[in-house]
Amino acid sequence: MSSESFQSFRDELDDHSDRRERLIKASRDITNIAKKTIFLLHRVVLESENPFDDRSAFLKAAKQGKQKLTQVQETYASLSHELIGDRFWRYQRQVSPGLQEYIEALSFAHYLEHSTLITFQQVQDTLCNPDGTPVRLRVALFTASCELMRFAISGFSRRGGRSNALDVCAFVRNCKAGKLRCLLAALSLLRLTSFISADLERFTPYVWELNKKQAVTAQSLMKIEDAAYTAVVRSSEYDLSPDVLDDLVNSYLSNQNNETRRERWRDVDRDDEGQDRFA
Amino acid sequence: MDPQDLEKLNDMLDNESELREVNTPIKNRFSLPGSLSPSVWSKFKVRDKINDLDKKTRTMVGTLNKIHSTRLESIPTLVDSVRPILTSCGETFAGLAELIPPNQFWRWKEMWCNSLRTAVFAAVLIKYLTNGTLLSLKTTNEILGIKEEWKDRVALSAEDYLHGLISLVNELSRYAINVVTLGSFDEPLKISAFVKDLFAGFSMLNLKNDSLRRRFDSLKYDMKKIEEVVYDVSLRKLVSSGASEKTLSEK
Repeated sequence: MSSESFQSFRDELDDHSDRRERLIKASRDITNIAKKTIFLLHRVVLESENPFDDRSAFLKAAKQGKQKLTQVQETYASLSHELIGDRFWRYQRQVSPGLQEYIEALSFAHYLEHSTLITFQQVQDTLCNPDGTPVRLRVALFTASCELMRFAISGFSRRGGRSNALDVCAFVRNCKAGKLRCLLAALSLLRLTSFISADLERFTPYVWELNKKQAVTAQSLMKIEDAAYTAVVRSSEYDLSPDVLDDLVNSYLSNQNNETRRERWRDVDRDDEGQDRFA
Repeated sequence: MDPQDLEKLNDMLDNESELREVNTPIKNRFSLPGSLSPSVWSKFKVRDKINDLDKKTRTMVGTLNKIHSTRLESIPTLVDSVRPILTSCGETFAGLAELIPPNQFWRWKEMWCNSLRTAVFAAVLIKYLTNGTLLSLKTTNEILGIKEEWKDRVALSAEDYLHGLISLVNELSRYAINVVTLGSFDEPLKISAFVKDLFAGFSMLNLKNDSLRRRFDSLKYDMKKIEEVVYDVSLRKLVSSGASEKTLSEK
């Protein structure tokens, strides 16, 4: 009696699990490219002679980063048929991690280029077909406004956490030349991050997992604040020789790294990379 | 962050939470409808419908629980008393279908899938008790009043239907014991044949390591329990010869 109907159930369940696997795989690929892009951005910025005096290094990095992110955009375009209609909601948990990572990389590149936070609409616009028509799924993708929230957090917590410490240290390290300007740059970054953190606070009840990300952001913010503080205090000792200043910065940097490592051990389950969130 | 962008996002999230009922103090729930602003009130809508559905499924399951202490001849009366509640579920689903925005079935489904599975369970159990056959997915949809044209908002997925079937088998393994206690020795044989047939169907599925697979495992224990009952009654020659021949020839 039931053999035929069970056959159709089998087909339905198989179709679902196959699509799910495909999306998870794609999401991992996207995560991979996005992470590489983030490293690329750091590398290009730090490679240049004097990145904090010269905006062209930032622009160059942003350009290369965006170039690399077109790979992600292509992948999304090829995925669009998988997520038609309400399927987007069905597979949201599978799509979301890669998407967050992509927005994180994109926002970093955007920050380097414009020194501002990328807006929702701007992210949306990057996910359009080459001819400018938004892919249908893209619109659906981003009605999930939560994504942007999550992205903003993960973008900044990450940049703030693991890399911003580095950024700030780089700022500090470059204090040898043009101390004042670098300090101002560090402080503007600090202000931007703390604004974002405050802005996002009001969204926490609405968005899934936002609480967790907020905690990470707060942590990062504190690190940047500490770094900025060190920079201010040390630079007041204006007659320090460059070598001494460099030593101070290095010891600060290694302290930071140790701390980060300890925290990572403690908060293994709090990692914001989301690799195991595919379940 | 750009204040304009921030406002836009806030609006979007607000709209979503209207339906989801996020972060609203529980005490509001007990105040009179008139004392609340319309926007606050609308937040309860989806939740309200689901509570409504829950109430109905609880009543049905509660009543159907009596099958374990009801003699075979009174079962039809018991089942008939539950039927009107089952039919009334259609109204609740219609209300849900009105609330859910188009193309967002999978977004909201989690909220009601447990209640829906219980409703499916009640429907298939009633069908089994009526004439010993399996209610198909299509007919289940009809009985629960879930319409085809709502499929992007409210639908019965194969997965939920299968969950309902597993609950049915769980219940039947208990029923097989109690029906013998109440003196109907032929019933376990019918149940055994029915459950084996279902199990054969489930074996055709490629199950992932998810909740459906874990519940599928429970079927084996239910079957074992039912087979033991069949063994006990056959060993003691309690089964009427007509019944045992009939089940054998069906296989």
